[in-house]
Amino acid sequence: MTDFLHDQLPCGIEYAVCPLPRRQIICFQLRVLAGMTTEPADKLGLVNIIGETIDKGTEKQSGQALADALDAMGASSGIGAGRETMTFSSTFLPEHFDRVVELHAEFLRTPTFPQDVLDVSLDLVKQELSTLEDDANGLTEKMISPLAFGPILGRHPLGEVATLDAITRQDLINHWEKHFQAGNMLLSVAGAIEPQRVSDVFEKYFSSFGSPAKQGRDIIPLAFTPQVAHRDKELEQQQIAICWPGVDARHKDFPVQQVMLGILSGGMSSRLFTEVREKQGLVYWVSAWQETPRGCGMIFLGASTTPERCEKTYNTLIHEVDRLADDLQQEELERTITGILASQETRGDSTRARCHELASDLFFHGHPISPDEKAEKISNVTISDIQRYLSTYPRDKKCVVTLGPKALQHCMATSKTGGTIK
Amino acid sequence: MRDPYTQVTLDNGLRVVIEQMPDVRSAAAGFLVDTGARDETAPQAGVSHFLEHMMFKGTSKRHWRDITKDFDNLGSTYNAYTSEDRTIYYGWVRQTDLDAQIEILADMMTSTLPEEEFNMERNVVLEEIAMGKDQIEHVAFDFLQEKVFEGHPLAWPILGYESTVQALTRDQMWAYFQKRYAPDNMMLVVAGNIDPDEVIKSIHRHCGHWKPSGTTSSRVPPKMHSGTDVLPLDRFRQQIVAITVPAAPAGGVEAEIATAVATILGGENSRFFWNIVQTGISPRAGAFHYEYSDGGMILLYGSCQPDNCEKLHDAMRQEARRMSDEGVEEHEVQRVRNRRRTSLAIEAEVPYHRLTQLMDDMQYRAQPRTVETMLAEVDQITVDSVRDYLNKFPLSVAGHLVSVGPRHWPSSD
Repeated sequence: MTDFLHDQLPCGIEYAVCPLPRRQIICFQLRVLAGMTTEPADKLGLVNIIGETIDKGTEKQSGQALADALDAMGASSGIGAGRETMTFSSTFLPEHFDRVVELHAEFLRTPTFPQDVLDVSLDLVKQELSTLEDDANGLTEKMISPLAFGPILGRHPLGEVATLDAITRQDLINHWEKHFQAGNMLLSVAGAIEPQRVSDVFEKYFSSFGSPAKQGRDIIPLAFTPQVAHRDKELEQQQIAICWPGVDARHKDFPVQQVMLGILSGGMSSRLFTEVREKQGLVYWVSAWQETPRGCGMIFLGASTTPERCEKTYNTLIHEVDRLADDLQQEELERTITGILASQETRGDSTRARCHELASDLFFHGHPISPDEKAEKISNVTISDIQRYLSTYPRDKKCVVTLGPKALQHCMATSKTGGTIK
Repeated sequence: MRDPYTQVTLDNGLRVVIEQMPDVRSAAAGFLVDTGARDETAPQAGVSHFLEHMMFKGTSKRHWRDITKDFDNLGSTYNAYTSEDRTIYYGWVRQTDLDAQIEILADMMTSTLPEEEFNMERNVVLEEIAMGKDQIEHVAFDFLQEKVFEGHPLAWPILGYESTVQALTRDQMWAYFQKRYAPDNMMLVVAGNIDPDEVIKSIHRHCGHWKPSGTTSSRVPPKMHSGTDVLPLDRFRQQIVAITVPAAPAGGVEAEIATAVATILGGENSRFFWNIVQTGISPRAGAFHYEYSDGGMILLYGSCQPDNCEKLHDAMRQEARRMSDEGVEEHEVQRVRNRRRTSLAIEAEVPYHRLTQLMDDMQYRAQPRTVETMLAEVDQITVDSVRDYLNKFPLSVAGHLVSVGPRHWPSSD
């Protein structure tokens, strides 16, 4: 049983600590509730640009000096611009805790967003948008996300050329002033550290950082648009992506959904790997996964295959989900549950994995959840739970997206909303 | 400090290395087979990788469905991969399941390569080859290997060519398998919170009866070619520009220095990052050290808009030349050492990560290294030792330039 501390600092940061005294490292993840969903509609790509520029200059030092200072301690740090949060993470040796937090506080609290750095970032992101055309998987994701989640949750991190052109330095400053406040932050820490030290050091460096009141916790509603879409592109393989709504991470059926996905796509004995790849040799890559913004969930199936095998691959994917309710065996269910539980246990050896897990708990549930509690919920899933889940959340309305030389004939013929993007 | 390693060699030649990690709850085990793409003949290019797929397809004891079910019944994180000079099969499980994990992996090593699965799995491999053709980085790296190592087995792609995979027969694969997958050409590595004596008993039980093949290595050291090669591909938007120069082979302090040189030049917070990426020339530019037992290269690599090729190329050359001429600074070396300390601490808490490092050490150094030994080697990287290295392996040589993408650059006229 792991003991967690969960509290709110006087400055407003909500935090959780998982002390692991025998470990040799500390890992923290600071999430600012200011992801892509908070971008103005005419400034898409803004959050990614903030992520690229926020550590490139402070009131005290240049971006390179700051990077050198973190490197001088061997800290492995990263910044991520996500759908609902921006994530600032770092892993380092325990003796550097105070200084690593101080440097993060410095660039989070006093960024200067130098104009020349912004100009370069905008140019680089436009280059990346152009080269996204070379990434079949990334393009497919860009096609299906707005259909799956709607115009806000389905935004792409890179934005669009027109919206990038509209971004100014003042936009960055305005966004930072509005969202980068202690009450808008979630902190997770795991590793060789006492909780009291976490609270002392973070309070020291983040006190009086904007409003301490809890903010940024509103849920963005899902705007799902069932549709069949195809885009012609010269590729060796056809990309297929399918999605339909599931449940969110707080829903009582979430553990059932996790197990269902494990049955479909957990290990190599899972249904999709076995039926699509091993028995028919249709693909190298096939997978099922979920994406769960707060308040909603989406189930995805994906595969890539040569065009002549595309129809058969699509039909098999759909068939495998449809038949799940009819022929699921107890042995298969138990194997899947074991897989999820064992994975949780083996990954528990990694401090970074523990920190990431804690951060997810804070974000989705508002408090840490013990591994035992999670394990119990997974262990209790039964075949009838899976059957009930499959009948409760029907898949008659789906998004089907393909990218490649050939549209899916069957889907195009039967869809009322299908279309080809040239 | 107590040596955490136990090493034994079975009578049949199978080498075993075990690392005790008392603070973890999981354990990892893996077979390293000393065979890869460079051990193939040209007409059979891709056989090592195709064989790796077939190893999951059945033994005299297990149908392929039972292999994957048994792995999954343990909740194992498992897989396999093939490189130029090795093929690895591994599983990462709860420590209580280690014996069962070793048993499954050992059984897989006695595959029957079922005839009825051969053609089906060929399709999977052909799909993997097709997938690679849609990824410009994959295409560029295969093209680079083909040109830099022309005439040497390191020139063929690990996946093979569509034509060689299509032409390969199950009998040819069987002959390769019999020769290469023998205990005297393999190693079993185990890491975790385990009792070494129990593990050794388990290994004797599962692998002790295997027969050696007496195979010997016929690897010939590679010769790197200089030159310029262009692969025009209209269907991509970006251009890949890559330059390779000779570097230290794997093993020893020189390899650590070569990796440090690549990191300072083109890793995170590097010269490439600040002088190439952050000046807007290219969204991605880096330097990497590739090492084999008998050769190595440093790859300077970037992608850019086609009309930026010259700028990217010149900037990478300029940074390489500057480092060759002027060496590195103390704070840059210190950063490498400090980062390595953190990465070793991260690695030391996960048995699967230790497994990977141990396999590197055993293959290229013939002995495992403790974290302390690795840190001592990293501490030997100094401004002076880097200068000596750069005198021996200068970055300013012409090397081999490869350009892949929509622009025919540099043109031959």
